[in-house]
Amino acid sequence: MTLQIDAAREPTTGVAAAPVRRATTGRTVATRRLIGLLLVLVPLVWAWQRAVPAGDDVVNRGGLSLVADLLASALHPQLSPGFLAVVLDAAVVTLTFAALGTAAALVIGLAGGLLLSDAAWHRRPPPAVRMLRLLLRGVLVAARSIHELVWALLFVSVLGLDPLVAVLAIAIPFGAQTAKVFAETLDGVPAGPLQALRNAGARALPALGYGLFPAAAPLLLSYSFYRFECAIRSAVVLGVVGVGGLGQELVVSLQSRNWDEVWTLVGAVLLLSAAADLWSTRLRREHAVVTCSDWSAGKGRSSRSVRSRWARSSAAIVVPGLIVAWLASDVSLSGLTSPRTRELTGRLLEDMWPPALPPGGWPALAEAVPDTIAMAILAMAVAVAVTMVTGPWAMRPRRAAMDEHARPARRLLRGALRSASRTLLLVLRSVPPTVWAVIALLALFPGILPGALALGLYTGGILARLVAEAWEGIDTRPRDALRAIGTPGWLASTAAVVPPSVHHLATYTLYRFEICIRDTAVVGVVGAAGLGRLLAENLAAFRFPTVTTLLIASFALSIASELFGRRLRHALRAPAPA
Amino acid sequence: MPAPAVVLRQAGRRFASHDAVADIDLTIYSGERLAVLGPSGAGKSTLLSLLNGSLPATSGDVEVLGTRLAGLPPARLRALQRRIGIISQRLDLVDQVRVLHNINGGRLGRWNSLRALAALAWPHADAAAIAALDRVGLAWAVHERTERLSGGERQRVAIARLLLQEPELVLADEPVSSLDPARAAGILNLLCAPARPVTLVVSLHQPELARRHCTRAVGLRAGRLVFDLPTDRLDDRVLDNLYTLT
Repeated sequence: MTLQIDAAREPTTGVAAAPVRRATTGRTVATRRLIGLLLVLVPLVWAWQRAVPAGDDVVNRGGLSLVADLLASALHPQLSPGFLAVVLDAAVVTLTFAALGTAAALVIGLAGGLLLSDAAWHRRPPPAVRMLRLLLRGVLVAARSIHELVWALLFVSVLGLDPLVAVLAIAIPFGAQTAKVFAETLDGVPAGPLQALRNAGARALPALGYGLFPAAAPLLLSYSFYRFECAIRSAVVLGVVGVGGLGQELVVSLQSRNWDEVWTLVGAVLLLSAAADLWSTRLRREHAVVTCSDWSAGKGRSSRSVRSRWARSSAAIVVPGLIVAWLASDVSLSGLTSPRTRELTGRLLEDMWPPALPPGGWPALAEAVPDTIAMAILAMAVAVAVTMVTGPWAMRPRRAAMDEHARPARRLLRGALRSASRTLLLVLRSVPPTVWAVIALLALFPGILPGALALGLYTGGILARLVAEAWEGIDTRPRDALRAIGTPGWLASTAAVVPPSVHHLATYTLYRFEICIRDTAVVGVVGAAGLGRLLAENLAAFRFPTVTTLLIASFALSIASELFGRRLRHALRAPAPA
Repeated sequence: MPAPAVVLRQAGRRFASHDAVADIDLTIYSGERLAVLGPSGAGKSTLLSLLNGSLPATSGDVEVLGTRLAGLPPARLRALQRRIGIISQRLDLVDQVRVLHNINGGRLGRWNSLRALAALAWPHADAAAIAALDRVGLAWAVHERTERLSGGERQRVAIARLLLQEPELVLADEPVSSLDPARAAGILNLLCAPARPVTLVVSLHQPELARRHCTRAVGLRAGRLVFDLPTDRLDDRVLDNLYTLT
C-alpha cells in the first residue's frame, strides 16, 4: 500500500493547529464497553431478584384456567345488539374525552410553549417574564410527572364522577408535555429568517407570524396529531376511575369475568386506536415529519412528496368535530366554578397538608420505591425484547431491500410478516396496560412481575414502533458502499447498519424508561405493586396526607429518572426524542 | 459633498476578551457604494452588524442615517431599521410560505400587526409586490411556495424583498460568495441599481467585483481598517498586503 495521508502538511495552510488531543486508546473503549454492559446487566439482575424472590411461586395455577377461559372466549365475542349499543356509546364517550382533552392540552401547550421558547422573544425577556418562566417550568415538570390516572383520581375526589374529570386529567399532563415540546420545536426552527424580519423593523407579532410559525407549523401539527393518538389510549385508561367510556366498561366486564364482553370491548378499543393511529401517522407522514427527531437531523423536508387529498381534507373536520364533541358530551365547565367544588377543593388541599407516611411507615415507602424501579426495569426488558423480535419486520421496506430480483414468494412472505408484526404492535399498544395487568394478575401472583409484564407489553408496542421509524431513517449508503467494494451483504450490514440501529434502540429505551417509571402508576391502580398501588389504596381510603407523601415520592422519582436518563443520553450523544 | 449616511468614530466591538473590530473611523456618504474587503474572520460581518444596530458597539460611536445608535430605545431603533435593508448569503427566507409572504417581510415594519397577520391569511399581491418581483424577473412566481424555487431564484426573491422595503441604506454581507461569476454580476447589478439612489455597503471576497460595481473600498484586517480607497486605485500591491497570511 502506498496510499498515505500526510498529516504533517496541515500547519502550512496557515490555519492555527487545534490543541493536541490525547488519543482514545483501544483500552479506553473496551473499559467503556464493559461499564456499559454492567450498567445494563446489574440493574436487570437486581430487578429480577427483587421481583422473584428465590423459592416463591410465581405462577398462580388456580388462575391459569381463567386465562384459558379468557382465551377460549376470544372466538365468540359478545355481539348482541344491546351490548353493541353500549360499546358504541362508550366508544363515542372515549373519543370525546380524547378530542376535548387534546384541544385543551394544545391551548395550554401553545401558550406555555410561546412563553418558554427563546425564539419567540426578541431580546432577553423582562425580569417579570423570566420569573414567570422559571415558575412555569417548575409547574410543568410537576404536572407531567404525575400520571393522567393519578390526576383523574385526584379530580374525582373534588368533582365526583363528572366527565370533566377525564378531560382535565388528559389536558393537564398532556398540556405540560406539549408546552415543553412546542417550546423546543420553536427554538429548533432556523433563526435566520426571523432575525432578518426583525432587522427589517417588523413588529413582534407579525415577525412571529411570518418568520417562525410557517416553519414550525408542520412539526407542531404533527405533534398535535400524535398527542391526539396518545389521548385516545389515555382516555381508555382513564375509564378505570369510573368516569365512563370504553375503559370503564372493560374493567366492569373483566371484574365480573364476562370474557366474551371483554373481547368485544378489546375489539372496539383496537378499532378506535387503529383508526386514530393510521389517521395520525398518515397526516404526519404527509407533513413529512415522521418523527420529531428527524428535524434535528436536518432531514425535515427530504421526503415531502406524496400528498393525498383525503387525509388533508380530513384534517378540516377537526374543528367542527371538536364543536360536535363538545355539544354532544355532557362535559360542562359549570362543575369547575360551583361552590361545592370550591369547598371540596379547599378541603382536599387542607387534608393533603401536612404530608404523612403511609401505614407501615418508612419501611413501606422504602419498599415501594425500589419496587417501582424494579418494575420499570423489567418492563423495559420486556419492551426491548418485543422490539428486537418485531422491530426489524415492522419497518417499511426500502427500495434496496425490496430489490426487483427478489423472488415473488419471498416478497410475499416479507409483506405478510410485516403486516403481522405491525398488527401485533398495534394490539400491544392499544389495549390499555390496565387490561394487560388484570390478565397478568389472573395467571401470576400479585407483585412486581405481573405489573412489569403488563407494562412491558404495552411499552413494547410503542417502543418497537418508535424504533422501527427511526431505523427506517438510517442512512444505508455506507452499507451500499461496503457492498460495492465486495463485502458480503451480512457483513456490510453488521458494520454499517447495526451500530446506528443499536444507538437508536438505546436512545428510545432510555427515553421510554422515564415514561415507564411514571406509567407504573397505571398498573399499580389495579393492584400490581409499587408506588402506584400504595397511591391507589390510600386514595381509596381517603388518606390524603399519605397521598401527598406518595405524590412527592413519585415526583422525586420522575425527576431523578429524567436527570439520570438525560445524563446517560448525553453520554450516548443522543438528543431527546419528542 | 452629499450628507453622510454612516459615521463611525473609533467604533469597536469586543466579544469576551477578543476585539472583533476596533478603532474604526469611517464616514460613508449617501449614494456611495462601498465594498468591504478582507480575509475570512477579519470582522466584516461584525462591522455590518454594527451598522444596523443588531449588534451594539462596545466602544466608540455609531451614527446611521443621522441617528446615534447608542442608547436608542427599541421602538426608535426599529423605526430606523425599517430604513436599512439587509441581505446575506443565507438569504433568510422562510421556505414553507409563498414567495409573496417572503417579500412582504420587507414591509412588515410599515404595516400594523393586524394588517400583517391579515395579509398572511388572505394573500393579496398588490401592484408594488408585483413590480418588485418583476424587477428581478420573478413576477410569475408570486404565489409559488418558496422551497420550490431554485437557488438562483431564491436569491432574487431575497432581492425583491429588499426592493419592497425601499431602504435608504443596504447592507449586503457576502451576498455573492457562493455564486458563479455571471450570477454574481447579476445580483450586484440589481443591488447597485435600485429605483432611487441608496447607499450600499457590501462585503466581498472578489476584488474584481468591487472594482466593477463599487465606488469605494475599505480593507479590513484583524478588525482594523488597513486602507480606504476609491476602487480605481485598488491595485495588486494593496490587495496582496491585505490577504497575505502571517
